[in-house]
Amino acid sequence: MTLTDVYLQQLINGLSLGAMYALLALGFTLVYGILELINFAHFNVFMVGSFVALGALNLFGVTPNAPPLAGLALGAVLLGTLAVTMVASGLLGVAIERIALKPLRNVRGPAAMITTIGVSYILFNVVLLGLGADSKNFPSPLPALALPIGGAVLRLREVLIWIVSLVLMAALTWFVQFTRMGKAMRATAQDPEAARMMGIEVDRVIILAFFLGSALAGAGGLMFGLYYNFTSYIIGFTAGLRAFTAAVLGGIGNVPGAMLGGIIIGLIEAMGGQLVSASWADVIIFSILVLVLVFRPAGLLGRVAPNKS
Amino acid sequence: MSGVVTVPRWRAAVTSAPVRRGGLLLLIVVLLLFPYVEGNDADIDSLANAAAYASLALGLNIVVGFAGLLDLGYAAFFAIGAYVYGVFTSFQVMPHWSGFWQPFALLGLVQKINQGGPDLVHFTLSFWLALPLAALVTAFFGVLFGAPTLRLRGDYLAIVTLGFGEIVPIVARNTPSVTNGAAGLNGVQAPTLFGYNFTVQATPYYYVGLALVALLMFASFRLRDSRVGRAWMAVREDETAASAMGVDRTRFKLLAFAIGAAFAGAVGVFYIAKLQTATPDMFGFPVSVMILVMVVLGGMGSVWGVVVGAVLLSLLQSWFLPDLTDWLHMLGAAIGSDWMQQVDLARSIELIFGILLVLMMLFRRDGLIPATQRTAALSFSAQHVQGVARGGFDRALAERALGIPADPAGNLLEVRGITVRFGGLLALNAVDLTVPAGSVVAVIGPNGSGKSTLFNAITGLVPAESGSIRFAGREILGLPPHRILARGLARTFQNIRLFANLSVLDNVLIGQHARLTAGPLRAVLRPPGTRAEERAAVMRATDIVALFGNRLAPRIAQPVSSLSYANRRRVEIARALASQPQLLLLDEPTAGMNPAETLELAEQIKSLHALGLTILIIEHKLDVVTQLADTVVVLDHGEKLAEGRPDQVRRNEEVLRAYLGRAAREALDAA
Repeated sequence: MTLTDVYLQQLINGLSLGAMYALLALGFTLVYGILELINFAHFNVFMVGSFVALGALNLFGVTPNAPPLAGLALGAVLLGTLAVTMVASGLLGVAIERIALKPLRNVRGPAAMITTIGVSYILFNVVLLGLGADSKNFPSPLPALALPIGGAVLRLREVLIWIVSLVLMAALTWFVQFTRMGKAMRATAQDPEAARMMGIEVDRVIILAFFLGSALAGAGGLMFGLYYNFTSYIIGFTAGLRAFTAAVLGGIGNVPGAMLGGIIIGLIEAMGGQLVSASWADVIIFSILVLVLVFRPAGLLGRVAPNKS
Repeated sequence: MSGVVTVPRWRAAVTSAPVRRGGLLLLIVVLLLFPYVEGNDADIDSLANAAAYASLALGLNIVVGFAGLLDLGYAAFFAIGAYVYGVFTSFQVMPHWSGFWQPFALLGLVQKINQGGPDLVHFTLSFWLALPLAALVTAFFGVLFGAPTLRLRGDYLAIVTLGFGEIVPIVARNTPSVTNGAAGLNGVQAPTLFGYNFTVQATPYYYVGLALVALLMFASFRLRDSRVGRAWMAVREDETAASAMGVDRTRFKLLAFAIGAAFAGAVGVFYIAKLQTATPDMFGFPVSVMILVMVVLGGMGSVWGVVVGAVLLSLLQSWFLPDLTDWLHMLGAAIGSDWMQQVDLARSIELIFGILLVLMMLFRRDGLIPATQRTAALSFSAQHVQGVARGGFDRALAERALGIPADPAGNLLEVRGITVRFGGLLALNAVDLTVPAGSVVAVIGPNGSGKSTLFNAITGLVPAESGSIRFAGREILGLPPHRILARGLARTFQNIRLFANLSVLDNVLIGQHARLTAGPLRAVLRPPGTRAEERAAVMRATDIVALFGNRLAPRIAQPVSSLSYANRRRVEIARALASQPQLLLLDEPTAGMNPAETLELAEQIKSLHALGLTILIIEHKLDVVTQLADTVVVLDHGEKLAEGRPDQVRRNEEVLRAYLGRAAREALDAA
């Protein structure tokens, strides 16, 4: 493997990680855009999503020893798993909003954010206590197809992650830009009070934002499992922080920004790990977070929602 | 009866000074005797740990509770303090011996040792020296980590501190030459006191922990009830208003970070000396969250509250849950339930933390012991004794309370060519304004004409693109708001920006911030000079409140959020007056007042004028303007339309058009 091959491989890895972070970052951005709330529960909605995906795969008969699927069966299992995971995660997000956050809607200060930390802790520990601390093997229904590019390898799982992420992000962009509900979301992000006076049901918009964001986090959880072949109660924190950094880097509240930020963070993680050392990757990423917040708080693409004061 | 806050008898009994003192004394005696009553070392050790967490909670309370800065990476400072002591007492870092180390050896800070090979330096930093030293080092890191976050909004600040909180353990893990990496430092020295080595017994640590909590509680109380504490709370309640009232935001935020960090640094030394080992995993995000849960449970900003919260949760973990688990195991054995015999409740402690956080936020945001005790509402009769007071302020009282400086001659304020732009919008276009000393100048104009922007530019809240603002002959354009206040300009806000959760008295005391001098050290030590300064400040504040008679005086201890709209306007004026201004800027002071209240306030403003105070006022009610102003300036679309005596301006063609529109003007002519 030459040095070029190494970088090519890290590019492939980085884009895959980035696609996953982008899915997760979108959830932060959707909620922040509307409520100006950093949703720490999102970290572990992602983690729960990966366990839901694992359960769904098992349900569809995909176990570590099962032979890989092909053709229609593969497509059906993947789509089924994705659908179950996204709906379940989305509902989890909505439940969190209804039970823990709605009563705090008009409370000033950090109460809502502290609540999301609490919810995140609850999810984390319920999974830890219920399913144990050991990492769980994440079976893959994918055949072991690989395309060598020089010394680097492009596997089917990476291509799948790219395609699924691109489709979901395109669908979200279309939804936000061109549907009636999407327009209501954008209006609410600009000014909830004015949106309410124009007849928009802000409450429904908020539920929708939590549903969509959490569903995308669930999809991210599935991607995580397929990429790393394991899942564990612990995966939410690091991935969540990186995805949050991605959202801030791109410009929080900004949908294309979250995607761009996700890709950049994924590439930094892969390349930075290569160039410096994997053990310093988080220090690099957090330093970027601090630098962006201090010097360019609106992010690369700028904040879409204005600062409400 | 009027003006007396009624408190239930039982509470009066509980909170009366002798009862409180007696209770405190009893608590101290019980805590001091505890190790002799309870012989079990493990239980004493649990309490020593609880003391460590209580101290951490006290430190975080300074940052989160007092100053309102949500720090999610507080454990980082705990880690830094711990490693300062750990590295300088263990056998991890051992440079080669040279003459350079000789003086340190004489001071007992290092030893020359030989493990075969060249002579090496072994650090032997004393525990008692390490406590203040680690506090200083972590205070420095507090400033370092705090500085980049100063301009950030609260939620971003939380995320950045979280990032720093993650970075510190990672750095510890990745620099094994200093910290022995993930394996952790071993052989950290136990403290010695007069030759007595603490080794691994629980009791001496228990007493040190107790002393640490007592010291930090004392410091917390003293800081809270001082100029410093009030400044923190002002920043917490409303940063902009705090800065306009003379509080240097940057300085006091950094001070909160530094002092909070210093507490954690000292606790880190204590904790590591007790454990005699330090690993990076001891200082991760879960620790930061645990301390936050303790503060939230006890009550943010409440000194007793956070100590109680920390002790409760700490003992829950080390006493109650294991006991409960044992009982469940016994019960399980009795009824033959396997599950019950295996369950370990102590493992669910973090789940309990999570549930507690959510429940507290949903149902009891002020915590178990709220920082602000609810004051009883005034009785119906006390609320309604007020009639409209006529004739302005009592002159003798006002002279004593306000200390208005002898009016200087000439122009007090000279604004020349001030231009302010918001993006593409020209909010002020080359506006000139002159306020002669001792005069009342009114600024009028339609909504959106730039009046409040003019005030914001003068008081430094919005930057001006060009022009000059001279106050008493010196340029003030470009100064931060708190420096402008210190020069002698105080303002009120159109939309009332009081410190809502603080009492009337505290609001007025914060107005005096720039005229007082006590810093953190003097706040804690409270030397006679500071004591006298504080007493005089309270007297002055009480006098100023008394100027407004029974409108405010009976409510002096109430939080301003419980006051009526008109009374909040009065408190804002009182707060501005407390800063001893030469020039008072009033932004629509009578907005929302009924005609009788408007008249009352107008006369009070007039009496301020009579005392020699110079006043610049924005006002919509033209009869008030006519009654008060020597000069009226009319703004429209960011430009000065007219200037002159009230009667001149009233007849001005352009002014009428701006106010009433062309058609109305023509209709007026036709009539």
